Amino acid sequence: MEHAGSAVTARDRAPGTVPAAAELKDAAAAAAGDTRAFERLYRAHVARIHSLARRMLGADLAGEVTQDVFVRAWQKLGTFRGEAAFGTWLHRLAVNVVLAERARLGTRRGRFAEGEGVMDALAARPAATDAGLDFDAAIERLPEGARQVFVLHDVEGYRHEEIASLLGVTSGTTKAQLHRARMLLRRHLGS
Amino acid sequence: MTGHWTERLSEYLDGELPALERASLEAHLAGCAGCARTLEELRVVAARAARLQVRPPGDDLWPGIAERLEPRAARTLDLGAARARRWSFTLPQLAAAGLLLMLLSGGAVWLALTRRPAPAPAGISTAPRLASAPETSRTADTAVSAAAALPAAYDAARYDAAIAELEGVLREHRGELDPATVRAIEENLRIIDRATGQARRALAADPASPYLNGHLAEQLKLKVALLRQAAALVGARG
Repeated sequence: MEHAGSAVTARDRAPGTVPAAAELKDAAAAAAGDTRAFERLYRAHVARIHSLARRMLGADLAGEVTQDVFVRAWQKLGTFRGEAAFGTWLHRLAVNVVLAERARLGTRRGRFAEGEGVMDALAARPAATDAGLDFDAAIERLPEGARQVFVLHDVEGYRHEEIASLLGVTSGTTKAQLHRARMLLRRHLGS
Repeated sequence: MTGHWTERLSEYLDGELPALERASLEAHLAGCAGCARTLEELRVVAARAARLQVRPPGDDLWPGIAERLEPRAARTLDLGAARARRWSFTLPQLAAAGLLLMLLSGGAVWLALTRRPAPAPAGISTAPRLASAPETSRTADTAVSAAAALPAAYDAARYDAAIAELEGVLREHRGELDPATVRAIEENLRIIDRATGQARRALAADPASPYLNGHLAEQLKLKVALLRQAAALVGARG
């Protein structure tokens, strides 16, 4: 959903954000076993993590995978050394969890079929009144490879080299997938 | 509109085309309305994606997460196994520990100087005992009782030797660590040193105080743990 004003975009907590002292304190407390401190971290970051999961995997799996991300974060907090913002560390972990889930699902889900025909279904969809939801829905219907790269690059702000490393492909492949995604979304948004 | 150039429009948009290709594409765009229009549309798509806002889930996921969080295992300190174990305190943990130390150490010494503990009941052994037993779950009362059985001079000698060895490792490899990490470690060492200094001075006036003996031993243990963490970091990067 797109809102005017001071709402948070996915890039507002992008890599490079200065670590917040309160979050470092909560991370330290959570690493020592304080679940209340961990809940504060959850409240601060759940929207971004859930949005990432929803855009990468779809609304059906987003809640379950978001829970998995935070449970994994709890287990891995001992490895967080405070050298980057907690949000950056958590987001990296979330991307890995999401991609692992994606790999686990494999090709079982027909909706992820590679092909531009996936986008054709959007034409028959009733017009949404919220342009942001419309765009999110279009992203969720992108072919799988194009969607992953588009979300990580254009929504989350990762660089091609980083995405290529995460996905185990070349940056040439990620550039081609990004272009494919943009071209598909361009057609949809132009209608 | 030319297919070859169309395929390069996203790279052009992202500033990732080499200079020569960029110049060629710009020359093409000047005369190709189709490619110019497509480029503008791609620009709109990318800009819209960057503006997408995050949305929280419709349901609160916390209860489901909370019930899956396993309690942390209590950490114990075993001085005899110094070389066999690695401690995994994080930088924020060290910072938080430092702050806590600053508050607790001053308070503990003040309490010891202003409130004399009751004499140890008859029957409690005062024989020398190693301070390396796990003590993470002791209450304040049991800590005082146990401290009554700890001869500070004996423990201090053991800890001083371990500290000297670990400080040597840290000095030797200081340059291999991240400067921010070094600053955090050194700041915490200074806090601990202040606390041990206070405890030693107070002990000089009251050498038999079981509370002060126990407090000094605790501070020395913390210092060993912190130095071990620093040594482990060096080892991890080595």
